[in-house]
Amino acid sequence: MPTESFSLRELNLLIRQTLDAHLEPSYWVVAEIGELRPNQKGHCYLELVEKDDTGIVAKIRGNIWSYTWRNLAPWFEAMTGQTLKSGLKILCQVTVQFHELYGISLTIKDIDANYTLGERARIRQEVIQRLKDEYLFDLNKEIPLPLVPQRVAVISSPTAAGYEDFLNQLQHNRYGYRFDIRFFKAIMQGDEAPSSIASALHYIGQDAPHFDAVVILRGGGSQVDLDCFDTYEMASAIAHCPVPVITGIGHERDESIADLVAHTRMKTPTAVAEFLISGMVLFDERMEMAYEQIRAETTHILSEELHYLQQLASGVQRIGHQHLHKKAMALSKWEQTCRYLVSSHLERQENYLQLKESTFRLLDPSALLARGYTLTTFKGRPLQIKNMPKPGDTIETFTLTEKIHSKVENIESRK
Amino acid sequence: MAKKQLNYADAVAEIEKISALLEKGDVSVDELTAHIKRATVLIQWCRGRLRSTQEEIDNALDSLEE
Repeated sequence: MPTESFSLRELNLLIRQTLDAHLEPSYWVVAEIGELRPNQKGHCYLELVEKDDTGIVAKIRGNIWSYTWRNLAPWFEAMTGQTLKSGLKILCQVTVQFHELYGISLTIKDIDANYTLGERARIRQEVIQRLKDEYLFDLNKEIPLPLVPQRVAVISSPTAAGYEDFLNQLQHNRYGYRFDIRFFKAIMQGDEAPSSIASALHYIGQDAPHFDAVVILRGGGSQVDLDCFDTYEMASAIAHCPVPVITGIGHERDESIADLVAHTRMKTPTAVAEFLISGMVLFDERMEMAYEQIRAETTHILSEELHYLQQLASGVQRIGHQHLHKKAMALSKWEQTCRYLVSSHLERQENYLQLKESTFRLLDPSALLARGYTLTTFKGRPLQIKNMPKPGDTIETFTLTEKIHSKVENIESRK
Repeated sequence: MAKKQLNYADAVAEIEKISALLEKGDVSVDELTAHIKRATVLIQWCRGRLRSTQEEIDNALDSLEE
């Protein structure tokens, strides 16, 4: 039989006094949030745990009173981009409290955001290292993005504001370019997002030849709950996708691992749309330049040919003229020759006629008769040796106007 | 029987014939006069033929130049 005993309340009071006497007013403790339940009054009740490979090795109840919770929760979210939730490892300033009725619990007065950020960075670095070790980090970047990415698979939530913006931007682009967009519905935040997006990527990958690019759009909404884009599952799915992936996750903090692994990272869905349109514009401009070049070359060639033809034509004309000139010269020479031959022939004839005329004039006795000479004939013929009259013969003497008949008396020789 | 149209060659042949006849001198005065008249007519005719031939040829050649 014990000599001394306590009532339970007395013992609990003793525990409380002992704790109060021996513990510091507050401690900084690293713990994982096991459960977290804000209540209607604005207080937050939670369970802090510590785990190792075998499971939970320490556990204690905790609370954040409403006047702390009101400021702490939004501040933590703003600082880390994360909500306080189950599974998150935190460094918090606690006061140990023991109540006779409620037992032991920790009152959280402050949380070190830098610790959570560091923790995030560590996990993130581990994921990146693993992706690099498995040669996944640059895998998607190695797929060439087509010059004109026109057939686009979009992974998004149908209700996301970013998806609307993206569609508007693409479909009403001022150049009038047309895009062939196929929508793949997926959960875009929370723990289910990685497997949902991965399965969409897998589905698209099976139909890879029909797509030029995959666009992952989140856009709008809360800046928290973006951890899913830092998971290995999501990054691996993007890396393995046989189509270039363009991200438009729309967050302001540093790039997510999904962004790092993707072929191209754009800040917002609108920026993705602009990127796709600018690819078209660039191609269009190249085509325009090529067209101009072809046109200039063609014009140049044509004008050179035209010039050559003109030269040929004028050459032909010149040769034609020369030829004609030669012919004309030959003709006129021939004409002159003709004239010369004709006139010399006619001249010869004329000379002949003149000769004959003068011969006949010499033979014509009329001129002698006119000057008083006479012409004597015997038996109608001129007097010649073989036609000589004898004395007693009758001879005829012709004057210009008369014919005289005479009888020959004698004939003397004139020799 | 129609009279044969006179041509230049025949006219010259006739002139030559008269010329040869007269050079022999064995013609009567009447014949002589008739021959000379005939020869003179033939010579005049030949001259006319020469002139008209010259004109025709000139005209033909001139028309080439137009």
